[in-house]
Formats: sequence, structure tokens, C-alpha cells
Amino acid sequence: MTHTHDKSSALRQGVLIFVYLTVLTILEYFVAVTFNATSILVVVAVIKAALVMYYYMHIYKLNEENEGDENSYAYKTGTNRLGLWFFLLSDAFVFAGLLVMRLNLLGFTRPPLNQTLGFAVTAVLLFSSFFMNRGETAMAHGDTKGFMNNVLITFVMGLGFLLGVVMVEWRIAAEEGLIASFGNPATGPMGAVFYMMTGMHAFHVLTGLIFLFVVWNNARKGVYSAEKHWGVEAAAVYWHFVDLVWIFFYPALYLIGTLVHLD
Amino acid sequence: MKKFLSSSLARGLVWQVIGTIVGIGLITGIRAAMGLPTTDSVFFFTEPAWVLGAFLGGLFFLSANGSVSDWFKWARGIDTPEHHEEHYKGWEKFVNVSLDHKVIGVQYTMLSLILICVGGLFALIFRTELAASELQFLTLDMKLFNQNGPQLFNTMMSLHGMLMIQGILLGVAGIINYVVPLLLGAQDMAFPRMNAFSFWLGVPGSIILLSSIVLGGFDTGWTGYPPLSARAPVGVQMFFLGVFFLGWSSILGGLNVVVTVVRVRARSMNAFRMPIFVWASVATSIITMTATQLIGLSFQLVMFQRLLGMGFFDPAKGGNPVLYQHLFWFYSHPAVYVFVLPGLGVISELLPVFARKPLFGYRWIAMSSLGIALVGFVVWAHHMFASGMNEYLRVPFMYSTLLVGVPTGVKFFSWVATIWKGKIDFHTPMLFVLGAIVVFLLGGITGPVLAAISVDLHLTDTYFIVGHFHDTIFGGFVFPFFAALYYWFPKATGRRMSETLGKIHFWIMTPSFLVLQFGMMRIGLLGMRRRIVDYDPAMGFDSTHLVLTIAGYLIGISVAIFLYNFFNSMKNGEKAEGNIWNSRSPEWQVPSPMPMHNYDQPFEVVGEPYDYGLPGSKYVEFAAATTPAKSKH
Repeated sequence: MTHTHDKSSALRQGVLIFVYLTVLTILEYFVAVTFNATSILVVVAVIKAALVMYYYMHIYKLNEENEGDENSYAYKTGTNRLGLWFFLLSDAFVFAGLLVMRLNLLGFTRPPLNQTLGFAVTAVLLFSSFFMNRGETAMAHGDTKGFMNNVLITFVMGLGFLLGVVMVEWRIAAEEGLIASFGNPATGPMGAVFYMMTGMHAFHVLTGLIFLFVVWNNARKGVYSAEKHWGVEAAAVYWHFVDLVWIFFYPALYLIGTLVHLD
Repeated sequence: MKKFLSSSLARGLVWQVIGTIVGIGLITGIRAAMGLPTTDSVFFFTEPAWVLGAFLGGLFFLSANGSVSDWFKWARGIDTPEHHEEHYKGWEKFVNVSLDHKVIGVQYTMLSLILICVGGLFALIFRTELAASELQFLTLDMKLFNQNGPQLFNTMMSLHGMLMIQGILLGVAGIINYVVPLLLGAQDMAFPRMNAFSFWLGVPGSIILLSSIVLGGFDTGWTGYPPLSARAPVGVQMFFLGVFFLGWSSILGGLNVVVTVVRVRARSMNAFRMPIFVWASVATSIITMTATQLIGLSFQLVMFQRLLGMGFFDPAKGGNPVLYQHLFWFYSHPAVYVFVLPGLGVISELLPVFARKPLFGYRWIAMSSLGIALVGFVVWAHHMFASGMNEYLRVPFMYSTLLVGVPTGVKFFSWVATIWKGKIDFHTPMLFVLGAIVVFLLGGITGPVLAAISVDLHLTDTYFIVGHFHDTIFGGFVFPFFAALYYWFPKATGRRMSETLGKIHFWIMTPSFLVLQFGMMRIGLLGMRRRIVDYDPAMGFDSTHLVLTIAGYLIGISVAIFLYNFFNSMKNGEKAEGNIWNSRSPEWQVPSPMPMHNYDQPFEVVGEPYDYGLPGSKYVEFAAATTPAKSKH
């Protein structure tokens, strides 16, 4: 399977990748609940990350030769693309630091979290990535209407994820004893780690949502075309990056290690 | 005055004050509504109020001064021209938002000089207190900003460290910004708006950082280790927040440099025909754009620990203070390579010009910069041999640290071989280059000594360490920075700085610094602890400390001479519009000062960059005036 320029096969590829990701996520979940095998979870997460980075974030485009001189839109898009990827690399260091913190403070234990809800928000984020991919593909073929519809679905799902984590999950976790009382995450490393990791991720989801709104609004004004839609591509890649981070954060918080109940 | 008041800088400052008031008001109002205490007996407002105030102050500065207005336009779907018309002349250019990398380079350099001078002033103040044992003027009775003498000593000592570090980062960014696009033959950096934004982040960041001194100061040193930083006054929050802003300046600046070098080079300038300073800039920028996130994260975690009671580093809540040190040093060790790599690049760049010989081992030098940067990522825990981390980590970190000596040694061999049998011109920039080599050698060879675990355990937190790192930073940054300023000053202004004053500057600073550094190492070996306001007269350090203080003042005087020379020469310096150093580098092939959009005609690389003294060889060839502008590859 290679990257393709034909619209219907590009959409088909998006569906296929989505199916792979779904199967892997379900596999991940069942591996975690049936037997405790962190190494398998790591392998699954790496495979998922590679699929997202290659097919949804199309990292291979960094290698494309940009025709035209330095002032052409194509050449500048290549420059922008490199800048965006370096930014994501830089941002990845924050999340890597948070993972290191989680492993250092909690080791091979995990907090008592609502598994159903965790799986549900993960699924919602995965779905949103799927629709984002469809939206970008539509724009790349000049279909502004299709782009706007898909990005709207992505936005709603992203908002659902954000509210699910911040409004519901944080409250349930608090009731499980991750914090002493809501609004005061004062006790224990589990609360500190959980709220810091999900909070930092939620902040990125929020900025991603703003970004999605901006490109949706610009598409409404007819700013983008099949040839010139760097803003759309950037928003899509950023949105998939948010998903990419969650591919690692979800198992790190919900799946690995032995469950510890707090009193 | 009226022109200043309508500038971007003044507008930003006004809005920073407004933002601070808004932030304080917001938190105080929320707290009042929730029935929490709203005032503080010492600092008027509560800590969360100050933190949000400072943070919003920074954001308001940036949104008001115009550095992000184009991005807001893009977000609304409005296109803007690639470059704006410049309507400011003279000094006004530098207090307004400009997208020109040359203006931004000068802005960075100026801000850097300000921070370095304030940091140096703090050093002179506490150095004076240290001149004799017992407390002389920073006594327990004195009070300033709610701190007594020793507390003020701690604040100034801590701020001296961080102001110098940020001053150096800005200075590095200044030189890179000015020079790299010129060396590449580019019109500008790859992202001119982000470049301006990176610089302007530094201004509110510096103000927030400095405001820590009036908000109770902090006594943690520049490292800000918890649990001490978790208990220090509100000032430590301003310290964290200020560094956070300046850190983003560094991250985005580094990103911009790497993308620029990858994407916008002159024709035929392949990797191994790039000037060596470009290599050094790339190596340094790889570190700033990645590792800097970790100091930001570690500072954020302490801020949240203080604000929300999250116990990341509080053992009583299951946290781990050593984790902070790992996160912190993961940036802060590579950070010293950020300081020195551009400096070492300047040395390699200027040596062939003044020795009139090809640079020895070009490829090795280029690779050694990258080598130092990459090895630098795996040495951080050598700062923590005495921290109580797992003992099995010590030996691998000792060996990785010793490994840094290899690429650094490569550079020294190249420099010596380049000087060997050269026809040396002892102009001021060359003097500083030679001074840098000597001083950096002393700092370099004390590095492996300290990397040895047993020695380090004995010397941890002594003045030997202080001597060692001042050596590396003076040799790796301060001397090359001055060399670069003397060397590229004519390019920026069309005038040259006075050679006589430059030589006086050099001949006062160098011996004074050597005295300072040997004195520090001497008392360090004898057991003088760093970061303390007083010492026991029975230790017999009084006379050495007096000498150190005198040497410190002499360095201050030499820098004052430099500043006079620097600002005076802008107006009154001897005209120098040609290639006064006889350099092969492209920026010297066109008249000074550099025209607005750099090169009127693009150039093509036709030879090796440093073939000085080889007859008939050329590095660049400018296109004939009729050829249309064409891109790279």
C-alpha cells in the first residue's frame, strides 16, 4: 500500500487505516484486561503511532521535492511542513517528559480509572482522526463542502473528547479518590500524574479545536483550493498529533501496571 | 520621546502592566467570590494572583505590540505581504516590530547586553560583600524588598546565574540571526514573523524574570531545586515564568534556524561547503528546539506543586525531588553546549581569516559540533553524582561525559593546526579568538577532571566548579561573543570600533579573568563552598577573595570600555565600508552596512570556504546583474 493521489483510493486508504487502528485498539484493551503484558502494549502503541504518522500525518511528504523557485507556494509549503514537524518534535519532548514522570512516580502501578469511559473517549478521538483525514483528502481534491462537513464532525468529536475528559473523567477520578476534593488535586502522586498528563493533553486538544475552527471558518470564506491549502494540512497534522500523543497516554494511564485502589 | 512612546516596545510595556492588573484582579475576584483570602501581608496579593498577572502581562505585551498581528489576520483569512515596508529610521527600527533578520539580530544583541550588564552588576555587588569574611553591607539588619542582606545575596546570586544564562541565549540568538542568513545568501530567515515573535517573547520574559527581586526574591540558585524552590517566596514563581517565556523564545528561534539552513541556501552550497558557523548554529539549534521543553516542563511542575498542591517533587505526597533534577539537567546540561557551540563556531570561522590559512580539517570541525550536541544529550546526570540518585547510573554518565572531550579535542587540534605557521594579524577580533582558545582550554581540561566520580564527590558545590564553568562560558561564549561583535560591527554599521580601545579591553579583561578563575579554583580545592554569603576567616580565604573582587571589578571596567567603544563607534567610528578583514565570506564581498534585502544579486558557491592563501581560489561568485533570481539545490 502506498500513498496515492486519486481521491477515491485515498479515501479507501483512510478507511483501511482506521480499521487497522480500531482492531489494534481493541486488541490493546483486551490484552490489558486479560493479562498484564506491558511489552505487547508498547509494541501495539508503536505500530499504531507509525500508522498514524505515515498515513494520516503523511510524514513522507517531508521528502517530496518541491518544484518551483523559492517564492512559489509549493516550495514555501515544504518549508512550512518542515517547521511544523520540528515543532511537533519539540512538543513531543514535553509529552515524553510527562511519560518519564509517570514511570518514575508510579512505576508499574496504575490509578483506579473508569475503563469504559477511558475506552470511549479513546474511540471518539480515533473516530475524529478518521474524519479529519477524510476532510483533508476532500480539500486536497478541491471539495470545500466535503472538507467543511468532515471538519465539523471532527470538531464535534474533539469537543466530545475534551468534555468527556475534563467534565466527566476528572470528576469520576476525583470520586475514586485521586484527589481529596474536586478542585484541590492535593493528594498522592497518582492524582498529580493523572491530572497533569490529561491536563496537558487537554490543553493541546483545546488549541487543536481552535485551529479546526479557524480553518473551517476560512474554508467557508473560500480561502483554500486544491493547490493552496497549507492551513488545512497543518490543522490536520496537528490534530493527528494530538491523537498520536493519546496513543501513548491512554495505555500509560489506563492499561499498564497493576491496579491500585485508593481509600 | 514621542517617537518612543508610540513604538511597539512602549505599547507592549503599557499593555503588560494592564495585563498584570487584569490577571491579579481576576484571581483576586474569584478568590473573593469563593471566600478565600485575597490579600497577602507581605506581597499585597496572593501567589496565584501574581502568577496569573505576570502570565497575562506577558501575553498582553505580545498581542499588543504587533508581533502577532499578521497571524491574527491569517486566521481570519486575510493575506499579508511577505515583507512589510520599513518606515522606521535609525534607533526607531529597533524599538518597533521588524521582520528583517538583521534588525532582529541587533535587537537580540542589545537585549542580551542589557541582561548581561544587569547580571554582571549583581555579581559585582555580591562579590564586594565576599571581599572579606564577616558581613559588611549585606547585613542581617538591612532590609530591601522584604529581604535582609544575606537573603538579598541569595537573590542576586541566583539572578546573576539566570540573567547571564538568558543573556547568553539571547546573545547567541543575536549573532546567529544576524549572520546565518548572510552566510547562506538568504534574504531572511525561513519564518520572519516567528523570528520577530521569538525576540519579542524575550522582552516581557526578561521583565518578569527581573521582577522576582521585588517580590521577595528567591534563594535557590539558578537551578531552582525543590523542595527549596517549593518553599521560596513568590519571587521564585516570577523566576520560573520569566524563564518559561525566554525558553519559548529559544525554542522557536532554534527551530527557525534549522529550517532556514535546510531550506534556504545559496546555489551549490551543499552541506560540506557551508561556513563552519552555520554548522555550529545548527548543532546549537537542535538542542534549543528540543531539550528546552524539559526545563519548561520541570519549572511548570514546580509551579503547579506550589499553586495546586500537586506533589510531583514532594516526598510527603509520594513525589520525588530527584526526578526534578533529571528533567532539569536534561536541558540544562545541553544548554551549556548551546552557549559554547556558536562561540566555538566563531573561533573556527575567524581563525582562518586572521591566520591567512585554510581551516585545518573542515569536515572534522563540522562533525565535532554535531558530535558535541548529540553526546550532550546523554551526560546530564553528571550534575547529580552527589544527589542520591541510583549509584549504578554514575559510571555510565562519567564515561559519556569523558566522551565529550573527544569532539572538543578535535576542535583544539584543528585550531592549533590552523594557527601553525600562519601569518597572523593581531586585530582585536583575533585577540579575542586567541583569548577564547586559551581560556576555553582551561575550562575544557577541568571538565574531565570533574567528570571523574571520586573527584566530583569531593568538589561538588565548591568554588572549583564555579571556576570551571566560568572558564568554559568565558572561553566558549564571552570571548568569542566579543570577537564576533568587533568583527561584524562594521557589517552592521559601516563603521569600525576603535582598535586601541578594543586592545585595552582585551588586555584588561584577559589577565583579570585568568586571575579570577585560578583564584576561584584555588579556594574551591581548599573547601570554599559556592552560593554562600560568608566564610570562616580561619579558612584563610580573605586575601584570595579580595584579589577575586578586584579582578571582578577590572572585568567590569573593561566591559565598560567596550560599551563606550561600541556605542561611540556607531556614530563616530572610522568609516569601514569595504572588506576590511580581507575575508572570503560572502557578506564581506558587498559594501557595508548591509543593504535592506541583503544581496542584490544571488551568489553561487564555487569553491571551499576557507582556502585562504591558495592563489586563484574563490568561495562564492555573484551572478551577473541580468540573471533572474533562482533557487538552490
